[in-house]
Amino acid sequence: MGPEYPNRANTYQGPGSTPFAPPRNNMPISSNSVVGSDASSFRPTSVPGPVIGTGAPGFRPMQPGRPAPAYGPPTSGPIQRFATPQFPAASQVPPPQAANIGQPIVPPSMRPPPPSQGPPMSTSVNRQPQIPSVPIGSPPQSMYSASRPNMYQAAPFTGPPFPGGFQAQQSSPVSPPPPPPPQVPYQGGYVPPQPTTSTPFSSHQGAYGRAPPAASSSGMYVGSSAPPTGGMSDLVEDFSSLSLGSAPGSFDPGLDTKVLPRPLDGDVEPSLFAGMYPMNCDSRYLRLTTSAIPNSQSLVSRWQLPLGAVVCPLAETPDGEEVPIVNFATTGIVRCRRCRTYVNPYVTFTDGGRKWRCNICALLNDVQNDYFASLDATGRRVDLDQHPELTKGSVEFVAPAEYMVRPPMPPLYFFLIDVSISAVKSGMLEVMAETIKSCLDRLPGSPRTQIGFITFDSTIHFYNMKSSLTQPQMMVVSDLDDIFVPLPDDLLVNLSESRAVVEAFLDSLPSMFQDNVNVESAFGPALKAAFMVMSQLGGKLLIFQSTLPSLGVGRLRLRGDDLRVYGTDKEHALRIPEDPFYKQMAADFTKYQVAVNIYAFSDKYTDIASLGTLAKYTGGQVYYYPSFHSVIHKYKLRHELARDLTRETAWEAVMRIRCGKGVRFTSYHGNFMLRSTDLLALPAVDCDKAYAMQFALEETLLTTQIVYFQVALLYTASCGERRIRVHTAAASVVPDLGEMYRQADTGAIVSLLARLAIEKSLSYKLEETRSAIQLRIVKALKEYRKLYAVQHRVGSRMIYPESLKYLALYGLSLSKSTALRGGYADAQLDERCAAGFTMMALPVKKMLKLLYPSLLRVDEYLIKTPNVDDEFSKVCTRLPLVADSLDSRGIYIFDDGFRFVVWFGRMISPDLARNLVEEDSSTEFSRNKVCLTERDNEISRKLMGILRKLREGDASYYQLCHLVRQGEQPREGFFLLLNLVEDQVGGMNGYADWLLQIHRQVQQ
Amino acid sequence: MWEVILWFLYFIINMALIASNLYQIVCLTDLESDHMNPYESSSSINAVVIPEMVLHVLCSVFLLVTGYWFMFLLTLPIAVYNLMLYTNRKHLIDVTEIFRYVNAEKKYRFIKLLVYSFLFILIVIRSLVAGKFTNVLEPFHPANEDLNILSHVLEF
Repeated sequence: MGPEYPNRANTYQGPGSTPFAPPRNNMPISSNSVVGSDASSFRPTSVPGPVIGTGAPGFRPMQPGRPAPAYGPPTSGPIQRFATPQFPAASQVPPPQAANIGQPIVPPSMRPPPPSQGPPMSTSVNRQPQIPSVPIGSPPQSMYSASRPNMYQAAPFTGPPFPGGFQAQQSSPVSPPPPPPPQVPYQGGYVPPQPTTSTPFSSHQGAYGRAPPAASSSGMYVGSSAPPTGGMSDLVEDFSSLSLGSAPGSFDPGLDTKVLPRPLDGDVEPSLFAGMYPMNCDSRYLRLTTSAIPNSQSLVSRWQLPLGAVVCPLAETPDGEEVPIVNFATTGIVRCRRCRTYVNPYVTFTDGGRKWRCNICALLNDVQNDYFASLDATGRRVDLDQHPELTKGSVEFVAPAEYMVRPPMPPLYFFLIDVSISAVKSGMLEVMAETIKSCLDRLPGSPRTQIGFITFDSTIHFYNMKSSLTQPQMMVVSDLDDIFVPLPDDLLVNLSESRAVVEAFLDSLPSMFQDNVNVESAFGPALKAAFMVMSQLGGKLLIFQSTLPSLGVGRLRLRGDDLRVYGTDKEHALRIPEDPFYKQMAADFTKYQVAVNIYAFSDKYTDIASLGTLAKYTGGQVYYYPSFHSVIHKYKLRHELARDLTRETAWEAVMRIRCGKGVRFTSYHGNFMLRSTDLLALPAVDCDKAYAMQFALEETLLTTQIVYFQVALLYTASCGERRIRVHTAAASVVPDLGEMYRQADTGAIVSLLARLAIEKSLSYKLEETRSAIQLRIVKALKEYRKLYAVQHRVGSRMIYPESLKYLALYGLSLSKSTALRGGYADAQLDERCAAGFTMMALPVKKMLKLLYPSLLRVDEYLIKTPNVDDEFSKVCTRLPLVADSLDSRGIYIFDDGFRFVVWFGRMISPDLARNLVEEDSSTEFSRNKVCLTERDNEISRKLMGILRKLREGDASYYQLCHLVRQGEQPREGFFLLLNLVEDQVGGMNGYADWLLQIHRQVQQ
Repeated sequence: MWEVILWFLYFIINMALIASNLYQIVCLTDLESDHMNPYESSSSINAVVIPEMVLHVLCSVFLLVTGYWFMFLLTLPIAVYNLMLYTNRKHLIDVTEIFRYVNAEKKYRFIKLLVYSFLFILIVIRSLVAGKFTNVLEPFHPANEDLNILSHVLEF
């Protein structure tokens, strides 16, 4: 143990000595200085908390009372195969980074980007000179206090009057003269943007025609075509506003809802964040709910929205933006001695390049000889362009041997397959076997990849796949109470050696159980057996389940069909695992680095709430195919299983997010298990998983100007290399609430809110969960209103920050999402739970797409435009999700990222319909009989082309296409109408009513 | 004399309860400060939860039977709460969610520790008194001693 952890002492510090190690208590700075004390406060007897830094994380080498075979010396055959050195010098050091925007290396006293490049300044400066020719119409007068009329003259005005007024992206808005922060501490470029221009003060006049009762000016709002625009250099705020009727139903029916804010452009990332700190990692990896960190506790308590981050450590990168890989072969990875931060673009080199200052804890570290480079006149390292870790917010370090406690594991796929009658009848078995076979060549990590299978019904069948055999050998174990694993060494085999046997097995699997009439499922015992086989190595366990577990340990019973439970205090119990067995198994799986993915197929109740727990705590995923039928769902299963098997996966990973002094991460939300207060254990991670976390201030007042966040993911790549992916981001600390709202990121907030809501639904009623969402939004808007209402006499209009204009809508659609909507009858319990598990892992963009799906009209395009590739983007104009958007002469595609619904209007021309689907237009699409297949005509090819393109844009799930004809109930209602979130459906408010309701509560 | 033995018994039970709580608190603190992993921590805590509950109920019942009303009432809330936890199957620490509840669990154990400490003081005083009384008063009131409940109540 000892020699393997040369720097362990630094890592497992006692709470006292490390104020910067995440979970610790506040400690006065003065105690930081003695590094030696770290060692002494470390308790040698205890199990080390894995810290990414030490490399131990994934594995707890000594666990008293748990022999943990996985960590022992490799005894089994397979392990020896890869125990050989796994370090191909794959240090593909990327090409020198040419232009470094914002060089981090500045003279000692400077903080990162040199003054010359102060990004925030530059963004705003060019707009400065535009002196307002403000149309000082009457509207502003009702908004701004008359006591400051002179302000108008001074107002820089950004461009022509905006009728709509959504100009958030390009303007960094003005705050009410925040006391200009002392310039000294900011040192150069890192002045948080002092907003100099304003987002035009926009109001959606006439939205709900009733004039705001506020003032005599009421008339001018209704239908006024020139909204009050213009800004005041000092005073104008960038809120948007909406005139709402003050009482329900009072708005003029003649005025439509078109002006309500809608995210029709999808997710808009806050550009401000990236602009301010160009060396931050891309927002696809890390998004903060607001990139302005509050500087005091009181500010935090006034910011009513969650304060946190959404991290997607392995997000897919577009070509050319791959994360550079850095190999510190000789020096060892450069990290801060005290807080273990990885070297990043924000560290500063001083003392002629001999020392570097950690940006997170400010400790001065020595630069090792091998890493030394002298500084040039501006204080930058001369070899900066050869060090991507000093210029890029995202890098990947190759981890040396001290970051491992065992040889890096090979990619391992283990399949636990239900072969009871329903699995065979639905055709699942066949599709699955076929898909796995087709993916064998593409499994990552060849030639080290390992594979194994267990099937089960009322008994458990093991398969000996030894490479010397020609046919797999089946062994049946029927003693469910005392599971044992026959031939433990040959159940898990190297794929390349046993390829022939594996293929033979997959070929014969469907036919083997063709006549199986067994209706039982010994799921629990089979799970235990799989655990025994896998615990040596870890890996990925794919479970194909189509019958409710009925035998042995972990059997489940039917629940959820009792209508009376809903609305009572026992309602939430339906959404949590019934049997503690599943939680215990999940914990054990995580411990041994096994990730579980659940594929559930049953048409009856299968208790996803219990099964999904396995995925939830092991970093896995739940795929649910209700009433699976191979004819219909074949492609969906094939695509999703293939993606699951072939996407790049990070194995035996642990993730930690570090942040600067005074800030501490308090809670984590997503599919993982916490291994210590701040360490996420992730047996397998891939690009489709995101994790959310919330932070809190530890001190009442933050003294720093910038808070840094660093996400580190230590994992084993499929090639067998141990790597650390590090994402670093900086955010400025602000003293004022307006700035926080301005820099808020709706996507991250909604993502975090959704996870919190789903977690809440596990212990409270759905009703309460939904009202909690609403309350949160109301509180936030109320706080915002307080900020500006007095100053600007907003009267009874609704005001909201430009950055959060979609918050209310997303809140509404969250309440209407499958996981949270309605009550007993509005969603099947299983679907609800599956949606909940899925949403807990979704990255921001997919989450927003799911909450506000896109609705596209395609019929004109199909008929008129000559070529599919031409003007494809024209098709992609999203429509508001209201039933009014649907024209009965049109064809529409509804896409929520998980499925397509193609809606045929009642009055579309018959030959158009005939061209697309085989049956004539009177045929009902019910029971999924009609599939959309490419037919031999131009129109059909075009439609398929569109669908293909949409699918390519979002490959993490397969969007199965459902056809719906207008007026065909209940199918139309189920697939489409229920999902038009702006409409009033199932007892839930429509968008307008929802806004009114929120507005009324805000005003109270 | 049997009273002294009884007090001694209470003393032992109380010490065991205090020890068990202290142990659990130490486990939780270790977990928080990363000196113990959740698996160990939860399994070592869960191992003593049920014995502690049983011991507590035993203690309560003894106090009731022997008529020490005040002390019985003191232990009653915890007994009821334990019963509630047990019937809701929440008495054991859930290893997967341990970090979410670690603060609440700690608080609960601190409260228990407080109650037990108070009980401990009472028991020590009572046993001293009892020892004295039996020794001193025995010759004078050999028969008066039996289960004078009122006197017990009045004494506290």
